Amino acid sequence: MFYDLNVPWSANDTQIPRTLTFLHELGYNVVALNHTISGKLPSDLKCAIPGPLPYKDIPPGLKVLRRCTLVLTESYQNARLAELSRNYDVLAVRPIDERTLQLACSSLDCDIISLDLTQRLPYWFKFKPLSEAIKSGKRFEISYAQGVMGDSGMRRSLISNATQLIRASRGRGLIISSEAKAAVACRGPWDAINLAAVWGLGQERGYEAMSKECRSVVVAAQLKRTGYRGVIDVVYGGEKPPASEKEEHGKGKGKQPVNGQKRKAAALEAGENSTPAVAGVENTSQQPLSKQQMKRQAKEAKLNATSGQQSGRMSDSQHTLESVSREEGKPKSAAMIELERQVAAGEVDRRATSHGIGVFDLPPEMRRASE
Amino acid sequence: MVRLKHRYLLVNILFPDLKNAPSAPRPKGVDELPYAIQFHQPSSDRMNAKLLMQMIRNGVSELFGDYGSGMIAGSLQVKYFSQATSTAIVRVSRDHYRLVWAALTFATHLPKPVNQACVFQVVRVSGTIRKAEEEAIRRARLSIRRAKRDTKTAQKVGGSADGRAAELNEDKDINLEDVSGFADGIDDADEPGDEDESD
Repeated sequence: MFYDLNVPWSANDTQIPRTLTFLHELGYNVVALNHTISGKLPSDLKCAIPGPLPYKDIPPGLKVLRRCTLVLTESYQNARLAELSRNYDVLAVRPIDERTLQLACSSLDCDIISLDLTQRLPYWFKFKPLSEAIKSGKRFEISYAQGVMGDSGMRRSLISNATQLIRASRGRGLIISSEAKAAVACRGPWDAINLAAVWGLGQERGYEAMSKECRSVVVAAQLKRTGYRGVIDVVYGGEKPPASEKEEHGKGKGKQPVNGQKRKAAALEAGENSTPAVAGVENTSQQPLSKQQMKRQAKEAKLNATSGQQSGRMSDSQHTLESVSREEGKPKSAAMIELERQVAAGEVDRRATSHGIGVFDLPPEMRRASE
Repeated sequence: MVRLKHRYLLVNILFPDLKNAPSAPRPKGVDELPYAIQFHQPSSDRMNAKLLMQMIRNGVSELFGDYGSGMIAGSLQVKYFSQATSTAIVRVSRDHYRLVWAALTFATHLPKPVNQACVFQVVRVSGTIRKAEEEAIRRARLSIRRAKRDTKTAQKVGGSADGRAAELNEDKDINLEDVSGFADGIDDADEPGDEDESD
C-alpha cells in the first residue's frame, strides 16, 4: 500500500481528477488532498474540501482523504487547532523558523510536521527535538515534487535539507510525499524511494516511509478523533435495557461499550455453542453481567435442566416445567437472535468481539472519504 | 576474473498531459479516451534509443557532475526501446544504477526535437535482461486487456464486443485492478542460476 499524503488542493483547480488518476496509475492506494491555510485562521473552520468529492472520474480503488496544512506564521492557540483537526482527516503544520519548529515538535497537537525544504534553512536539525516529536506520534514530511520541477537552486536546497533531516532523524519517523501541483510532477512510489536512497535513507526505511509510517499517521489521526480512553470503536454493543438507553449516546462512550462488548462476547460464545440451557439464560438484572457470572448462571441452568430431567417424574412439577421451559421453550432474546443472524451473514467480524476492534478495518461511518 | 555485474532497469514513459502532442496527427476523439489509455500513449516517432541515451547522460551530468558521468559512462546502454509501448530497458553497472535511476526521476520532458512533458517510471530492476523482458511482455499484455476492458465499459458496446469477451477473460486469475503491479516490490536481483549477458 502506498500513500501520498500531500496533493495540493485549491477550489478552482480542474486538473485534480487527472492528477488523482495519474497517482493511482503510478501505484498509490491512498491519497490526501491538502488545503493550506496561512496567516490568521478564519473564523469558520469547516473543511474547505467538499465531501463527497465533486469530481467524477476518480478511480474507485483510490481512497482520498482530506488534510489541512497550517503555516505557522502567527502564534497559536492550541484550542483552535483541536477544532481544526476535527474537521479534517489529517492535520499538518508548517513551521517557518526555528522557534516555530520547536513549538511544533513539543507542544502543538498535529499529525505531520511539514517543512518547506526548498528554502535554505538557517538552522540545523537536532536529534533531540525531532525524536521527541516522533515519540509523540508526529512525523516529518519530505516532499519531492518542488525539487523535481523546480530549478537548480531549489533542487540543491531540497537535497541538502532532506539529507540533514534524514541524518538527524536517523531514518525513522519520516514520510515521503509529493507536493505535486500537476500530474507531471508526480513520480512513482519506488522512484521516490530511490531518491531518498540516494540521499541517505536506506531502501527498507524508504519503503517504510512510504507505506507504514504514512499509515500510522492516518490511523493515529483517526484514533485521536474517534477513540476515547483506549476504546477504539464500537462495532455492535448489543441492545441496551431501556433504562440506560440515554447513556449510550454522547460522551459516556467509555464505560458502556466495554460492558456492551463483554456481554456481546459472552452472548456470542453462547450463541455459537447453541446449548439451549445457556441460551435460555436471560440477563434479567439491570446490571450487565460479567463473563464469570454468565458462566455461573449457565452452569446452574444446565445442572437444573439435567437434574430436572432425571427426577422429572418425581420432583415438583413446577420446577420441572420451569427447567424444561428454560431448556427449550423460552425463546432466545431478541439481541441474541440478531447477533446470531449477523454472525451467520458475516456482517459482524468474529475477531472484533472479545478484545477489541481490529484497528485495520475502521467501519464505514468512520471513514470520511467518499467511496 | 571478476565479472562486471549489471542492473537492467525497465522504464515506462507516461504522458500525464495532453498538451504538446507528438507530431503525428491525432484521431478526433482522443480526449474522450479513459485516462489510463491516455497516460500510456505511444511516443513520437522522432524519439529513439540514441536520444534517450543522450538524455540520461545529460541528466546524470547535471545531477552528479563529472563523477557521475564518469562512473556510468562505461556501462550505460539502452538495450531496448519501443515507441509503440513507450517502454525502454536500460543497462547500468550494478554499483551506480541509482544514479541513473535518479536522473530518470528528475527528467521532466523528452529531449529537444520531441519536447513533450512526460514522467519516467522505473517498474523493474533486474539482474538479468531476460527477467526484464518477461516483465515487459507481461505488462504489455495486461495493459492491452485493461485498455480493452476500459473502452468496452466506457462505450458500452453491444453485440460486437461479446465475441471478443471470451478472449478477454481467458486468464481470470490476473488481477486487473493491481494497476502498477508493485505487489511484490520492484527488485529482481541476481539469481544464482541466471547467466548474465557477456559483452
